[in-house]
Amino acid sequence: MKKIFSIPLIRGILWQVIGLLIGMGIVAGIRLAMGLPATGPYLVTEHAWVFGGFLGTLTFLAGHGVMGDWFKWWRGEATSDHHEDKPGWEKYFGPSLDHKVIGIQYAVTGLIVMILGGTFALIFRTELALEGMQFLKPAQYNTLMSMHGIVMIVVILLGIGGMMNYLVPLLIGAHDMAFPRLNSFAFWIVVPAAVWLLSSMALGGIETGWTGYPPLSANMKIVGQQMFFLAVFIVGWSSVLGGLNLIVTVVRMRAKGMTAFRMPIFVWASIATSLISLTATQLIGLSFQMVMFQRLFGMGFFDPAKGGNPVLFQHLFWFYSHPAVYVFILPGLGIVSELLPVFVRKPLFGYRWIAMSSLGIALVGFLVWAHHMFTSGMNEYLRVPFMYSTLLVAVPTGVKFFSWTATIWKGKIDNPVPTPMLFTVGAILVFLLGGLTGPPNATVSTDLHLHDTYWIVGHFHDTMFGGFMFPFFAALYYWFPKATGRRMNETLGKIHFWLMTPSFFVMSLGMMYIGLNGMRRRIADYDPALNFQPMHLVITIAGYLIALSVLVFFINLIASLRNGKVEKGNLWNSRSPEWLVESPMPAHNYEHPFEVVGEPYDYGLAGSKYVEFAKHK
Amino acid sequence: MSHTKDKASALQQGILVAVYLAVLTGLEFFVAVSFMSVMVLTVIALVKAALVAYYFMHIYKLNAENEGDHDSYEYKTGTNRLGLWLFLLSDTFVFGGLLVSRFNLLGMERPHLNQTLGLIVTCVLLLSSFFMNRAETSIAHGDTKGFLNGTLITMVLGLGFLIGVVGLEWRLAKLEDVIVNKDVMGGIFYMMTGMHAFHVLTGVIFLFLVWRNGRKGYFTQEQHWGVEAAAVYWHFVDLVWIFFYPALYLIGKVGL
Repeated sequence: MKKIFSIPLIRGILWQVIGLLIGMGIVAGIRLAMGLPATGPYLVTEHAWVFGGFLGTLTFLAGHGVMGDWFKWWRGEATSDHHEDKPGWEKYFGPSLDHKVIGIQYAVTGLIVMILGGTFALIFRTELALEGMQFLKPAQYNTLMSMHGIVMIVVILLGIGGMMNYLVPLLIGAHDMAFPRLNSFAFWIVVPAAVWLLSSMALGGIETGWTGYPPLSANMKIVGQQMFFLAVFIVGWSSVLGGLNLIVTVVRMRAKGMTAFRMPIFVWASIATSLISLTATQLIGLSFQMVMFQRLFGMGFFDPAKGGNPVLFQHLFWFYSHPAVYVFILPGLGIVSELLPVFVRKPLFGYRWIAMSSLGIALVGFLVWAHHMFTSGMNEYLRVPFMYSTLLVAVPTGVKFFSWTATIWKGKIDNPVPTPMLFTVGAILVFLLGGLTGPPNATVSTDLHLHDTYWIVGHFHDTMFGGFMFPFFAALYYWFPKATGRRMNETLGKIHFWLMTPSFFVMSLGMMYIGLNGMRRRIADYDPALNFQPMHLVITIAGYLIALSVLVFFINLIASLRNGKVEKGNLWNSRSPEWLVESPMPAHNYEHPFEVVGEPYDYGLAGSKYVEFAKHK
Repeated sequence: MSHTKDKASALQQGILVAVYLAVLTGLEFFVAVSFMSVMVLTVIALVKAALVAYYFMHIYKLNAENEGDHDSYEYKTGTNRLGLWLFLLSDTFVFGGLLVSRFNLLGMERPHLNQTLGLIVTCVLLLSSFFMNRAETSIAHGDTKGFLNGTLITMVLGLGFLIGVVGLEWRLAKLEDVIVNKDVMGGIFYMMTGMHAFHVLTGVIFLFLVWRNGRKGYFTQEQHWGVEAAAVYWHFVDLVWIFFYPALYLIGKVGL
């Protein structure tokens, strides 16, 4: 028993529950003292749940120990610069300061939560396979659909957090992130948030979709809705602090000779992503906070009866949530640009343009939010400028595709094709479909028809799979040997790819097909007369096949962790510095610092060199 | 830049900037009661913000060259400074979002508030910024006593501001029918002042920790990043109020 409570994660969750109960008790007590009702349909009132949630988050962090060094600083005590982790698996459950450990914490948590998000999707997809309601109630359907959306968003944020944390310090030759404690904090704050998010299912669910538009979200008298807002608000802080840390790291801690245009593309993509998550995330936090306060204190921000404006919520919300999709895809597209030259043995075409296109997408991304609102009743004159700004995003994205095509052109690809390369090519193809289905949604005339149909669902699953899922898997297969010293099984990897890719195309094209024919999104059932049922069945089967392929991936991951082929060297024949030292990476990264002496992607050019390691420490 | 100056002229500069800010605040009030131009008020607020950002927050330090040993205190301070400013940039989006909401929902109306009290709390916060600057300048020149006194006065003034806004203004506003759950006017007023007051409160706590550690002799002339961080954060809170004050008290007509 004592051993279990020495694990920080367990201790933290225990403290989280204690904090929740104390917070509830305080609010219930105050309400009783004021003569107000203290109990509600969910044991106590919403106020008590929200305050308990806040307090529980803080007690989790304090009990877990991730803020330990800060408490010492506040007391005026000095701490050592870098704590050594004890060898073994325990470090993954505690407040490690090593960016590699934190990166793996992010990625593994992301994968675990991905199982949950995928399961939600399978459940409601099964319901949709046949017309009529078979085994779900509409409220349950809504909850599962909303949870699938928000949980998968958390998965993506965790996944990119994992890739950026693990890779960026290695790629730029830093010994760690600029603020290791903040880094650890930014990861661990997600854990209590995830608990709140999942708890909302037991507290009445969320029925608004992940967007949580008022007035519906403000008027739904269920506590689950409130816990959802609280959870997203807390996850937002992880994004903000992670982005901050990453920008500072890249600006301040690059190796000697690594000028801006000698940085790896993935670092550029991470910078672009972090700029968005640093700034725009605050707006979703603010908008959700305002709905929370509207529910708690009756502040009338989005209540027309009190002079409020529901469209204001949509503006604030999409000011984050549109740029957020670029947060999701930019690191993935960076991975594609990173891996492609390695596997085709050719220089990356148009390095500078690719670097700038990431920033371009991020900056244009700030000016396009209202394209989600063409049908919302906002001022009509706003539609056309937002249409043009949205279409402008296609330009930097096109630059990326042009570069990838030109890089592959006449490249020498190994036969059989290594799994990471398969997923890279898969990412390009899937994202191409996602990109091409974008402009019809951006154009006002067509969007008025397409808005809120399954076409949109197909489109964004394409962009998310092409921009995140495929590159994420590519990165996992590619850097797995770096992290573990073992290689993932190639055969299982290929089964994963060849099962997932065709199923995915069937799924998303099927969604688009019924969407064009008028299938609405977010609904639990559809009219038999519309004749969508066969296609819904196909989509559901494809969905199960994708789940099966991901299962193969998990089997591969666990099996390779135990008995994968030992690989300690540069198995992909990469020029990148992290592959030039032995795997797995030592705790403080490079024993000898390196200096950048050439261009990063000059594959296949005789005598070219990217980095040179110093002889001595 | 600040280090090249001797202590007397650095303190003198602080006084001068505080006087400018006070004059501009008076001018703001005069504009509001006489010919009420949003344009002029915006320009004055921007000028005040620029003065605070440059002379009190020393934004130019971000640009300082500190090459060399990455493990040195100077280099780490530069890294910390960049991190703090990025955090403030992020925070700016919260307050920016609140300002956008205020103008979207209320337009050219404003809540019925006590003008005298508004001017007083604004001056208190400005004065606290002045003493904060004094405290930071003192420690940068090795004067621990001046630093401790300055920090203490800043804290007291910060608490004064909190009492003025949360303790007095909230009650007075309620009497004038600015009520949380009555209409959006009340909602916006309490949301904006509440969010700002929360930042003031965290700033006071931050200052208290700095003051306590300062008494233990934790900060020196060369190594006082904690003081600088608390100061920059404190001035940022002041800077936010530079925009919130006209948005809540001066711009537009009193709404019902």
